This record gives sequence, C-alpha cells and structure tokens, in this order.
Amino acid sequence: MTSKTEALSALIASARGPRPISLQSREAEEVLNIALALTVELAVSNDRIDRLERLVAELRGEPVEDLRDIRYDGDIAQERYDATEALLTRALRVILDPRGHEGAADTDT
Amino acid sequence: MGLVMKVRDVQHAVLPQATAEERSRQEAVVMLRKLLNAKVRSKNVERYGEEARPAFVAAHGRLPQSPAEVQEAFLMSPSYRRWSAANRAAQEMIWVSVGEPIYRDLDRMTRATANLIDSPDKLGSLALDPSYDPSPEVADVDIHLQPGGYAMDKGAYDVVAGALYECGGNVFSFGQGIGRGDSKAGVILKLLEEHFGGFVPRKMLDIGCSAGAASAAYAAHWPQSEVHALDLGAGMLRYAHARAESLGVAVHFHQMDASELKFEKDSFDLVVSHNLMHEIGEEKRRKMIAESFRVVRPGGIVIHQDVAIRNQPTIVHQVERDWDTHFNGEVHWNTYATADLRADMIAAGFPADTVIEHDLAALQGFANNRWYAISGRKPA
Ligand SMILES: C[S@@+](CC[C@H](N)C(=O)[O-])C[C@H]1O[C@@H](n2cnc3c(N)ncnc32)[C@H](O)[C@@H]1O
Repeated sequence: MTSKTEALSALIASARGPRPISLQSREAEEVLNIALALTVELAVSNDRIDRLERLVAELRGEPVEDLRDIRYDGDIAQERYDATEALLTRALRVILDPRGHEGAADTDT
Repeated sequence: MGLVMKVRDVQHAVLPQATAEERSRQEAVVMLRKLLNAKVRSKNVERYGEEARPAFVAAHGRLPQSPAEVQEAFLMSPSYRRWSAANRAAQEMIWVSVGEPIYRDLDRMTRATANLIDSPDKLGSLALDPSYDPSPEVADVDIHLQPGGYAMDKGAYDVVAGALYECGGNVFSFGQGIGRGDSKAGVILKLLEEHFGGFVPRKMLDIGCSAGAASAAYAAHWPQSEVHALDLGAGMLRYAHARAESLGVAVHFHQMDASELKFEKDSFDLVVSHNLMHEIGEEKRRKMIAESFRVVRPGGIVIHQDVAIRNQPTIVHQVERDWDTHFNGEVHWNTYATADLRADMIAAGFPADTVIEHDLAALQGFANNRWYAISGRKPA
C-alpha cells in the first residue's frame, strides 16, 4: 500500500522537461502555483466538510451551525497529521520538483 | 446507427479507484481550467490589441510582423502572462490530481492488469516488441506535460502511462468543454454513416491508440469486425489491452511505429488515427500517412482526425493557439496547425478527388466544439 505522500512523490519525480515561465519572475510564478494549489485544496476541504456537516446535522436533528469547535488527540490526531502532510506535499509540489532547482540559474535578479 | 460506447468515464478494472476527496480535487482543477478557458483565455486576442500590440510598438517603433514577434508582443501583455502562468499551473495540477490516485492504487491496478493479460480466455491480444525503441521525438518529451510521457515503461505489468492518459484526458476534456460523453470514434462513425454510405469494415486499424478508448468503442460498435490498434508505448498498450478485456471487447494491440507498420499492404478496410498528427513531426507524419495508404486495401477508407486548431483567421489567433507549443510540451502543435495535409495525402497516393477535409461537430459537450478530419480512399 502506497501512502498519499509516496504517491505524490512518485508522480513529481516522473515529470520531465523545462518549466518555462510566463510572469516576469520565476519566484512569483511559483508562488502563484502554490496559491492555486491551495485554492484547489480549499475546495476539496469545503466539499468534505459540507458532506459531513449535512449528514451529522441530519442525524442529530440540529442546525449545522451547532457542530463546530470539537478537538481530538491520540490516533485521530495522528490521522490528521498524515493528511496535512500529504496536503502540504501537494501544495509545495512546484518547489519539491527537482526542475525548480535546475531552473534557478535563469531566475530574474 | 447502433450504440456508441461512451468513451469518457467508462468503468473498468484498471481504472484507479479514486476516493471522494480525490474526485473533489479533480473536479476543482476541472473548474479552474474551465474558468480560465471561458473567462480569461477568451479575452486573449482582445487583450492583444489593448496591451500587447501597443507595448510592442512602444518598444520597437513598429507593429509586430512575424509569428515570433506576435508571440513576443503577447508576452508583453500582463493579462496574457497571468493567464499563461495560471494555465500552465492548472495543466500541471491535472496530472497531480489524477496521478496521486494512480500511484496510490497501483498495486491493485497492477494485479488486475496481470490477471487480465494472463487470462486464458481473452478476446483480443497484445503484441509488445521489446526490440522497438520508441520514437525519441515523442518518448523524450512530456507531451501536454504528462509526467514520464507517452512511452514511459517500467516493465512487467506497468500501466501508469495508460492510466495517466485516460484519467488526465477525462479531466482535461471536461475542462475544455469537450464533455464527458464525447467520443472521437463516435464522430468518425457518424462521418462514415453520412459521407461513406454507412461503410462497415471487416478489418480496421487505429493508429496511435493510447489507452485504446476509440479502439474499444469501434470494437463495441462493430462486434463482427476485427479491430487492430497500435501505439509506441508498452505501458500505454498494456493498459489499453487490459481495459478492453475488462470491458469485454476484442481489440488486437500492437507496439510499433506509426511510420513503419509491420502489416502487409492492403490489410485493412478502414484505417483511422485520432489526435496523432499533432504529436509527430513533418517527416513522421508524411511516412505515417503513406503507411496508412499502403496498408488499406483498394476501395478502403483512411481517416486522420485531429484537433480543430487549423485555419485560424489571423496570425494573432494562430499565435494565441500556439501557446501549447511553448508552454504545454506540444512540440508539434504548430507544425500540425500549419501543415498542408491535403498535399501529404495526395503525395501518399490518394487520388486528389478522394481527399476531403472535414469540419466535424463534437457529438456532445458544449456548442462550437469541433474536430478536424481528412479522409482519402484508395482506388479500387
Ligand atoms: C494524443 S495521443 C491520442 C490517443 C488516442 N488516439 C486518442 O485520441 O485519445 C497520441 C498517441 O500517439 C502515439 N504516438 C505518437 N507517435 C507515435 C509513433 N511514431 N508511432 C506510434 N504511436 C505514436 C503516442 O504514444 C500517443 O499515445
């Protein structure tokens, strides 16, 4: 069984070729990539939260607004840790990709 | 016309089983692409007039002339640069969003592939050629940024290239507005119905089949016909073969180069290619077209279908369409867009009066989505 982070690393390692930039600075473009990836992750989380909130509120027969502000530790906290690690690997992809380092030489100064 | 297999979102054993979360991610990237296409890219030509051309004139004291200068001008427009950067990012995210479930689910997919490939009661077949070294002009490039490219092959039961192609295509096409139900095979079946009197081949060939979506659709549509398909990548072909077997359709897959077919002359009633021409250079394309003429039987039909990016109204539109050459690893996008394909068909041996260029409507998806095709008929 491959973990999500391992799966992402395998994908990132397999990509080849140059990454031409469009903006005037490579750093700015990388930041744009991170911002867009985060925006996608936010949409993913929103879907997930929305599903849960609706289901739980329905089960409990109470308004969705009452379901917030609960904290966990132990195994559940570890599960959240692993999920966040995978999330950040997705978000940092443009920097983790070795091509980012090869291209560093032609970064605008 | 009979039932056409829906090419997109067909469920089979070698598809990665994406989680709800992974599907949310893919849908978000699709939405991002759709917005960028519909709301941002659609303004590029307008922005050229407002930002790019004036900036070029200010810098050079004259209007841009050549395609290279129009490209230079485009890159002087902040709006174009923002779109281009975001579009490249979205394209890379497609591969991340489909690649993660593939690598995560790969052990199961590999086992499913092994079972299907080694099954004693197969409908079709798979002929890999270990002595073939995939054409470097395709193998060495991550075309449309697919990680590892079309020819990636890790041996044994590796199917990653095929899985990436099919899953990326599902996500990408929807973002382009092509629609989930769209089938390029369906468009060609309609063309055969309308222009060729409902021609039904006994034996056909699909050149550059990738994951075999079209090949399987033909086999499902014509169960009595013998369907052959070829590609250069072993990882692509294993996936295509396992996919077809899982769907219960008979397709015979071969690893060979489109420009050097191992089939005898006059072997097929129908030879097609889908979206292959824009992936190969001029010389390969001419040889591929010549080979399609050689292997089709007298009276048989050849149809090469591809993206409708040819015949742009102005050089500015043409350069705008050419973004993929510079930013999307589509090395031959412009070669294809500006090629004289009629001349290639005639040079291959098709009589000029049988060579027809078609502007075809996609069967599903958004309005004004079109495909290009060129057909020819070998003299009987
Ligand atoms: C864009 S894909 C199109 C796939 C499929 N026909 C479709 O429409 O979805 C192009 C395919 O052509 C294959 N290809 C490119 N050059 C080739 C060659 N010289 N010989 C055989 N296949 C080739 C690539 O491996 C790739 O799978």
